[in-house]
Amino acid sequence: MTRELFEKELSALRETVLEMGSKVESQIADAATAMQKRDGKLADRVRLEDSQLNALFQRIREEALVVIARQQPVARDLRLLMAFVYIAAELERIGDYAVRIARMTVTLVQLPARPLRAEFGLMAHLAIRQVHDILDALIDMNEQVAQQVAGRDDEIDRLYHRLFEDLVHEMALADDSDETLALTTLVLIAHNLERIADRVTNVAEDIVFLETGQVVELG
Amino acid sequence: MLSRRPSEKPEAGSQAPAPPSALQIKVPGATPVREFADQSTKISIRDLSFWYGGFQALTGINLEVPAGQITALIGPSGCGKSTLLRVLNRMYDLVGGARAKGAVLIDGEDVLSTRDLLELRRKVGMVFQRPTAFPMSIRDNIAFAPERLGWATTRVQESIERSLRDAALWEEVKDRLDKPAVELSGGQLQRLSIARCLAVEPDVILMDEPCSALDPVATIKIEDLMRRLSGAYTIVIVTHNMQQAARVSDHTAFMLMEPEQRYGELIEFAPTDQLFNTPRDRRTEDYITGRFG
Repeated sequence: MTRELFEKELSALRETVLEMGSKVESQIADAATAMQKRDGKLADRVRLEDSQLNALFQRIREEALVVIARQQPVARDLRLLMAFVYIAAELERIGDYAVRIARMTVTLVQLPARPLRAEFGLMAHLAIRQVHDILDALIDMNEQVAQQVAGRDDEIDRLYHRLFEDLVHEMALADDSDETLALTTLVLIAHNLERIADRVTNVAEDIVFLETGQVVELG
Repeated sequence: MLSRRPSEKPEAGSQAPAPPSALQIKVPGATPVREFADQSTKISIRDLSFWYGGFQALTGINLEVPAGQITALIGPSGCGKSTLLRVLNRMYDLVGGARAKGAVLIDGEDVLSTRDLLELRRKVGMVFQRPTAFPMSIRDNIAFAPERLGWATTRVQESIERSLRDAALWEEVKDRLDKPAVELSGGQLQRLSIARCLAVEPDVILMDEPCSALDPVATIKIEDLMRRLSGAYTIVIVTHNMQQAARVSDHTAFMLMEPEQRYGELIEFAPTDQLFNTPRDRRTEDYITGRFG
C-alpha cells in the first residue's frame, strides 16, 4: 500500500474521533439518567468527565495539524482531516451541553421533586440515537445515512417547541419562586437537548462535505 | 509592474478567433472536463497526436490553454508532458523522425504548419530544467537573441534592463553585467534563462521543470516570479512537484500513459483549485494523493 504511514495516521485520527463520539454518547446518557433519577452524584460525574472530552478534542486538533503539515494532503484526504477537526469541535460542544444538563440537574435535585414530563425522556433518547447514528454514518463514510439522520432533527424540534410552550404556560401559573426556578431550569434542559440534535445536523453536513466537497445546509 | 511593450498586443486584423461559446473538451474514455466558456484561449490544442518515429507518444490531446494564466501539466514519468510542451514551439523539429498530427493554434495560427520557426520560438519561449548560461557576459546572454533577430541597438540595450528587471534579477547583477554569466548561482542562472526568454518579448513562456535543479529558496523565488509574470504572459509549466503545481498554477492538466498502448493521454483538465480539491476522475485523485500505482 502506498503512503502506509499516512494511512495509519488517518486511521488513528479516525479512531480518536470515534472514541470521542462514544464518550459523548455516554455523557448524554448519564446526564439524562441523572436528570430522570434526580441523581446528583451521577450529574457531578458528568461534569468532571468533560475534561476527558476536552483532552480528546485537543489531541485531534494537534494531530490533524501535524499530519497536514507533514503529509501535505489534498482532495479527499484533506477534506477528511478537516472533517475530523470540524466533527471533533461539534462533539466537544455536544459534551458541553451534557455538562449543562448535569449542572441543571444538580439545581433541580435541590428543589422539591416534581414529575418529569415524558417528553424529556423521549428527547434524551432521540438525542442519544442521533449521536449514535451519526457516528455510524461517519464510520461508514455514508453521506446518505448522514442526511437521513439530519432529517430526523424535526422530530426533536417539535418535542422541544411543545415542551417550551407548556412549561412557559406553567411558569405563568407558578405559585412560588422554587417552582419558577424548576420550570426555568427544565426549559433550559430541553433547550440543551434540542441543541444536541442541531449539532448532530452539523456533523451530518461535515460528512456530506467530506464525501462530496460541497458545503450543504441540512435540516 | 512588468514592462511589457504595447507592441505585444495583437494587431488589428490578426486577432485570434474567439473560442466557441461553450466548448466542451472531450477526452476519449475520460471524465468530461468543464467548459471554459468565459475565458480567453491563448493556445488551442485540437486532437493532437504525436510520434517519435514508429512510437506514438501522444494521442487525441484536446486542451484550451487560457491566456495570461499559468497552466501546469502533471502526471507520472513517461506520460508525454514534456513532449506536449515541446510541440507548442516545434522543438520536436530537432528530433529526427518526430511528427505531429492535429492542430495547435496560437492566436489562430497553427504552429504545426508554421514556416517561420524563428518567429514562433520568439513568441513561444522556453525555459529548461537545467539553467544554462551562454559562455559570455550577463549582458551578452540577454542581448544574444535580440541581436540575432536584427533589432536596433537601442532596442537591444533597452531589452537588457527590462528583461532583467522583469525576471527579478536586475538588482543582483546590475553592477556586474559584464561579468561572466557562469559565475551566477543556480537560482540566478534560471532567472537569467527567464530573462533571456523575456528579452525577445514572447507571448507564451514554456517551462519544463524549471525548479527541479534548484534549492528550496531559489524555487520559491522562481515561483514568485512566475506569479508576477502571469497576467502579462501565458505560462505552461511541466512539473513533477504536485505541491508546486498546486501553489503556482491557475489550471492543471493531468496526463497519464495508457498502460497497453503506452501513449500519453489527457485525463482531466480543470482549475487547479478544483482539481486538487475535488478531482472528477478517480485516476487524478489517486495520482495527486500519492496512491497511484
